[in-house]
Amino acid sequence: MTDSSSPILRISALTKTFDDFTALHGIDLNVRDGEFLAIVGPSGSGKTTLIRILVGMDEPSDGAVWLRGNRIDVVPANKRPTCMVFQSLALFPHRTVGQNIEFPLKLRGVPAAERKERALELLETLRLPRDYYTKRIQQCSGGEKQRVALARALAFDPEILFFDEPLSALDYRLRKTLEKELKDLHRRTGKTFIYITHSLEEAMVMSDRIAIMKAGRFEQIAPAEEIYARPVSKFVAEFMGEVNFFDLENGAAPGVMLSPAATGALAGRSGTLTIRPESLRKLSGGASADLSFEGTVTAEYLLGSRMQYRMTLTTGQEMIVEVLRENAVEDGIGAHLRVGCDLTAAHLIAEAADAAA
Amino acid sequence: MKTSRLSTALLIAYGIAILGFLYLPLVSVGLASVSKARYLSFPIRKYAFGWYEEALTSDTVRDLLVISLKVAGVVTVASMVIGFFGALAFARYNWRFRKTYQKLILLPIFFPQTVLGLALLMWFNALGVVPSWKTAIIAHLVWIAPIATLVVSIRAFSFDAALEEAARDMGASQWQTLKEVTIPLLMPGVTSAGLFAFLLSWGNFPLSLFSTGADSTLPEWLFAKMVSGYSPLVPTVGMLTVATSAVLVIGGLLLAWAIRRLRPDT
Amino acid sequence: MQRRERKLGLLYAAPLSLFLLLTFLAPILLVAGFSTMPEKVFSLTQMPDFSAYRTVLTQGYWKSVAWSLFMALLATLILLVICWPLAYGMAKVFKRFTLVLTIGVVMTLFVSENIRLFGWVLTLMKGGLIEGYWRYWTGQGFDAPLYNGPIIVFGLVYVYLPFMLFPLAQGISMVPDDARQAAYDLGATRWQILKEIDLPLAMPGIMVGSLLTFVLAAGAMAESKLLGGRAIITIADEVQTAFTYGQNWPLGSALAMVLIAIIGTMAIWAISKADLDAMMGRKS
Repeated sequence: MTDSSSPILRISALTKTFDDFTALHGIDLNVRDGEFLAIVGPSGSGKTTLIRILVGMDEPSDGAVWLRGNRIDVVPANKRPTCMVFQSLALFPHRTVGQNIEFPLKLRGVPAAERKERALELLETLRLPRDYYTKRIQQCSGGEKQRVALARALAFDPEILFFDEPLSALDYRLRKTLEKELKDLHRRTGKTFIYITHSLEEAMVMSDRIAIMKAGRFEQIAPAEEIYARPVSKFVAEFMGEVNFFDLENGAAPGVMLSPAATGALAGRSGTLTIRPESLRKLSGGASADLSFEGTVTAEYLLGSRMQYRMTLTTGQEMIVEVLRENAVEDGIGAHLRVGCDLTAAHLIAEAADAAA
Repeated sequence: MKTSRLSTALLIAYGIAILGFLYLPLVSVGLASVSKARYLSFPIRKYAFGWYEEALTSDTVRDLLVISLKVAGVVTVASMVIGFFGALAFARYNWRFRKTYQKLILLPIFFPQTVLGLALLMWFNALGVVPSWKTAIIAHLVWIAPIATLVVSIRAFSFDAALEEAARDMGASQWQTLKEVTIPLLMPGVTSAGLFAFLLSWGNFPLSLFSTGADSTLPEWLFAKMVSGYSPLVPTVGMLTVATSAVLVIGGLLLAWAIRRLRPDT
Repeated sequence: MQRRERKLGLLYAAPLSLFLLLTFLAPILLVAGFSTMPEKVFSLTQMPDFSAYRTVLTQGYWKSVAWSLFMALLATLILLVICWPLAYGMAKVFKRFTLVLTIGVVMTLFVSENIRLFGWVLTLMKGGLIEGYWRYWTGQGFDAPLYNGPIIVFGLVYVYLPFMLFPLAQGISMVPDDARQAAYDLGATRWQILKEIDLPLAMPGIMVGSLLTFVLAAGAMAESKLLGGRAIITIADEVQTAFTYGQNWPLGSALAMVLIAIIGTMAIWAISKADLDAMMGRKS
């Protein structure tokens, strides 16, 4: 997926207000052809509102949307070359699997034989047995229903597929399996996927880019690694996972001991330093690091392959540290601990430390 | 894919039109009841409440009223009791013939009342019972008791079985459970059923026609007059019966609303 | 708990069941018995000869049956069309107006049918509400559209509207919104959604409403008597006449049995199909 010439979907200044409440504040977004874009945010951030407008179920209050250069926000949903996979899947309970898949084709007057052929093709693409063609929807398992919904959405070859939290109701194992299958499907079909979820994990596994949404605005749109390592705000940093924040004022941060190299790099700068727990390592003896911290362990948690510690620094601030199990702290709670990290692991956010997140 | 504002407005207009259509005849009856003329024709020349005065002081009307009230009253009480137990059997307890029972209860509701009335007349005759307002009660109940049961069942269906079980677990006897848990929980349904029963009995004609014998209820009298021997009292008495129904319904709704305000946990 | 429930269920069901057995099933059996008796007889002691049924077939009484059923069918179809938009509105569109409509419609059920039909006579007759004021304002009168066949169907439509409206609204409310939205998203027009999604999924409501309306309308009498004059005699009317003026209980019974047989079969079929527990939202 290369950064192609023009985006497949262009959203400009999209706004939506309901009576006295603004759900979307002038959203701008360019979606690349064939990319898997995840839109992530807490509930109430406006993700569903945005998707409904893109699909055509709601009208924007202001702004416009172009698909391949054509204005589509004025086109009714049933005429748009887009398709949505609903959270509830919205399969037709009174029809068989085959009839569900063929539905969009039937609407467009495709003859029966051709419809059946395409349906069987899609069953294969979605890795469902051919004889599921005549199966009733009620008899399908959760994962199978997901695939039928996907097959139906792909049937009329839409330009963009939208997903509204399709996996949130499934149990862990099934979700994990389907995440990988969705990513695989995306690769095989080459279509543009726009995927809404509140689960960061899902987004990170499947997407090419993630758009973090908060209160009707995009905070950051970038690939997962970039957002993780270089978040633009405290909100994004915290949203992506556990993180430690340190105020930096004029090159100095209380509780943070800087090496000469680090002091030089941060000289005169202010903002918030963000450090991920897993980028810290135990410092024993006289070992040093670009940034080092000292304190006492107050809690320890076993996280599968890693140990997580909470420690209180000499300044009183709390800190979270994650290390591999083999590097566990011996004395556990109450032990004195020194940890440190490289300069590259500390990311500076321009936002002031006490700015509202 | 929301319905457009225009479509919604059209639908509402349609709904209002249908409501108007449903109530239009009553408007005519209402107007007729205040027309001074003996032989009715529109436009009404003179308005007067004279007919109401006559109706309210008439002995005939008073007798009819008493009969109608007696029948409706007994039917109401009987329906509430039968409906209470019937609904528990219908909706709540898992017993062997429940499904069959459900179907049996529904049959009288679908049945043409005229035929039912006539069948009952024959039956009373065969049993040697002379039809009177008492037999009318039985006739009404055949149709109304199942309806009352259904109404209470609506409430009984959302009944949480755990409540009764909890009571028993704490040591309550069958009677105590009934008194402390079941009856209070179902009471709103039972009162609704009672209201329904009264109103349906109050306005019923086909069943009354054949089962009252020498006695006569208000609807019976009205029908007889409508078909032959029109009297200006007909619209008047008609409106009085409608007014009674309306008062009861509105009273019932207000009561329900008031109770809900005073006891927000219901 | 199970055994207690079973005993309680049986016990509580007893009053209503026994009552209906005695006052509903027994009279019907009596009617059935009488229908086999020789005509113009008032007791069951004769030998069954089914002559009444022969009369029904040969003397043209079957015409009343046919007419009654036909009018009921017509009324049902008309009501389906009239009520569908309103039921759709109640189930999917209106918010508080649904309650207003429900109460408004239910209240009419508590007014005696006779009074309401009589009101139509007053409204439609010559000199009535419509014609009277029309003549007063425009100087032109017209004949009352009463005392004919169509007005009877009109009366049936009027009286049985609630019985089609509520089941229909219930049925439509069970059509999942997301299925409709998905169909729209996949490219369906409004008509296609109606045909492919709404109608099939609302079918239980459509069936219940249609059956209820048809069955009740087939056994109706007041509409034809009050509005239709003697234009068409319904079967219920014939039954009544046979029993009262005709003094012919076996004939009346036979006619009644024909009506019961037709309505009964449909009612029993409909009831056996309906899963009441599901419809009324049983919790346990």
